[in-house]
Amino acid sequence: VVALAVGDDTSYHDGVLTVGRRAAAELFTHPALVEVRICTASPGDRTRIIKALDAVEPRCKGADAAGEVFPGLLGPAQLCGRGETHVLRGAAVVSAGFLPRAQESVLQMSGPGAELSPLSRLHNVVAEFEPATDAPWEDVASALRLGVLRLAAHLAQAARGATPDGIEELEPLPAGTGELPRVVAVTNIQTQGAFKDVLVYGRSMAGSLPTWMDPCELADGAVVSAQYGHPALKNPTFVHQNHPIVAALRASDEVELAGVVLCPEPVAEREKRLVSEHSARLCAALGADGAIVTKEGGGNADGDVALKLDALEDLGILAVGLFAEMAGRDGTAPGLVVAPSHATALISTGNYDELVQLEATDRALGGERLGIVDAAASDAVELPMAAIYGSLNPLGWNRVTCAGEA
Amino acid sequence: MRIVHYLNQFFAGVGGEEAAGTAPAVREGTIGPGRALAAQLGSDHEIVATVFCGDDYAASEASAPDELLELIRGASPDLLVAGPAFTSGRYGLACARVAAAAARAGIGAVAAMHPENPGLDEAEPAPVIESGKTAREMRPSLERLAGAIETLSRGEELREQDGRIGKVPRRNRLAERTAAERAVELLLARLGGDRERTEVLLPNFGSVTPSAPIEDSGGALIALLTEGALVPMGNPDRLESARATRWLRYQLEGLDRLEEGAFQSVHGGFSTVAANADPHRLLPLDVARDLEREGRIGALHHEYLTTAGNGTQVATARGFGVEWAAELRQAGVQAAILTAT
Repeated sequence: VVALAVGDDTSYHDGVLTVGRRAAAELFTHPALVEVRICTASPGDRTRIIKALDAVEPRCKGADAAGEVFPGLLGPAQLCGRGETHVLRGAAVVSAGFLPRAQESVLQMSGPGAELSPLSRLHNVVAEFEPATDAPWEDVASALRLGVLRLAAHLAQAARGATPDGIEELEPLPAGTGELPRVVAVTNIQTQGAFKDVLVYGRSMAGSLPTWMDPCELADGAVVSAQYGHPALKNPTFVHQNHPIVAALRASDEVELAGVVLCPEPVAEREKRLVSEHSARLCAALGADGAIVTKEGGGNADGDVALKLDALEDLGILAVGLFAEMAGRDGTAPGLVVAPSHATALISTGNYDELVQLEATDRALGGERLGIVDAAASDAVELPMAAIYGSLNPLGWNRVTCAGEA
Repeated sequence: MRIVHYLNQFFAGVGGEEAAGTAPAVREGTIGPGRALAAQLGSDHEIVATVFCGDDYAASEASAPDELLELIRGASPDLLVAGPAFTSGRYGLACARVAAAAARAGIGAVAAMHPENPGLDEAEPAPVIESGKTAREMRPSLERLAGAIETLSRGEELREQDGRIGKVPRRNRLAERTAAERAVELLLARLGGDRERTEVLLPNFGSVTPSAPIEDSGGALIALLTEGALVPMGNPDRLESARATRWLRYQLEGLDRLEEGAFQSVHGGFSTVAANADPHRLLPLDVARDLEREGRIGALHHEYLTTAGNGTQVATARGFGVEWAAELRQAGVQAAILTAT
């Protein structure tokens, strides 16, 4: 996608995606939603999106492929990850507005602030919404989530007949030749109840033990975010569809990808220990030589990464963990809330507390006011990095990092 | 140089914990460690006065640094030297704050403490020189401090080789590659035998030795504290819901229960529904009053202290801890229940 438009009918021609206003609105029909407005925000637009919730890449299955994307939500929860998948690269469907427990996020589409988030480089189809007065917030969130997924599939379907700009073949995972080190992407997902949950084949992983997943399942939407908190530290559906660690492992000819271990992030320490040891056990059973461990959420989730790194290294599986730092505004505080005791290879996705200045914009989507700084939504503002959508992405989506001044 | 030396009540010879409430005072010449420090300094320098203050007073009275600064000014020094405070938290905070106040007032200043002292972060713009962990290391600590004073007297800045400590600020920047790509490269390095490489060093949070149990709880004054951000309804003092920079106190006098609707949690890190429905789940005033009536505790402290423990910087939280300890000791509290969320 190289340009977006909103029009009467949904269509895709030569990289221009037109979102059909009426068709899009119908996909959100639900008693919990009074109205949904579709707008667009493209890179370079003097636009700010506030209160951005989820971001989803438009995808659908090929006409001959069995099943549907987002199994368990748009169709039955049958195994996905096989057959043709159509992808509208360069675009995302973004929901924006108030939901409980969702700390306000900010996404700048132009100027220096746009350097801070990978989502700023995408053509965003933004769905603003008006909840029904007496609808429970859980219903609003669920209706919105389904609408966004339907819209993402609907947009991709419009391009199904177009000649693809590129074709990528994702091979089934090799069983292991013994020649290259086998590496697992251990992916922790948040499980903290309503508005802070992640759905796997349509259901929460809360209370589950970790499970193994073929990365192709992720590509077809087996994991969908229902986690709207932690703007900088969230993993929107988009990064599960385009798992950055999986992509980086696939791109390396020095390792063999041994799949994804998906693991919930329980809040109780003994549960954290339990799932960490089970994750390590799964990796051992997969014949892993190494693992890269990621999280979702704030300081609590540091514990999940730390425990897993130690548990993996205890089994002789070398491990790297991704952490955002909470090093204070001046960057002098200890950055990790919970650190591993002996695993030491850590990647920094940046300091959560450092302040950034954002230029004023011509318009804002997602709301009228930015409550965290009590400013109009399009004003010039100063905010901690923590508020910038996707900036410190725990799955390694972004380039922000943090280092001591020389 | 004319030097004024700052000490706590203990090193000034006033007394131990029983004298921790001592207000700021000044004496001519050297006291205690000041004598040993003077012996290390050449005849070009003279410690003309010693100012001191009780640890609790210094850590809990907001006016303490200004009061001390007035006493320091009275001796017209070229340099204020504070400490060494070793790992003592309240003393370290006091040294840091008085050195910072002097430096801001245009008086040269230097503090000395151990790198783990929570005061370290509050000394800016004054430099801090490393000291040992305990007073057993007084002598090498004073030698290093004396060397630093010599350096300062030559008009030079203190550097790492002088024993200067303080954290190197970490700044956000854009790397050439994504964190995911860097993670794969780091894992390859680790698989290749490099066990040192990392972008983040493991932090050292130190450890806290628990105090001995109180001997007679039936005679003890007990305080309730929480990091659950429990505040009166409407959050009148605007406590932050995350990344708190301060703490607050609220009255419990005359209160038997925390009624729903009278208090709320503004904590941004957990669902506050259950806590708001029954604030005792954050601050157990109900059972504490029962224990008080039953005589199982002597009395309940007349106010509770609260902050939001959510994304709070460690240095800030350690500072809160030192201030709370000083505050409670001043009030004669023997034990506290600190609820965490």
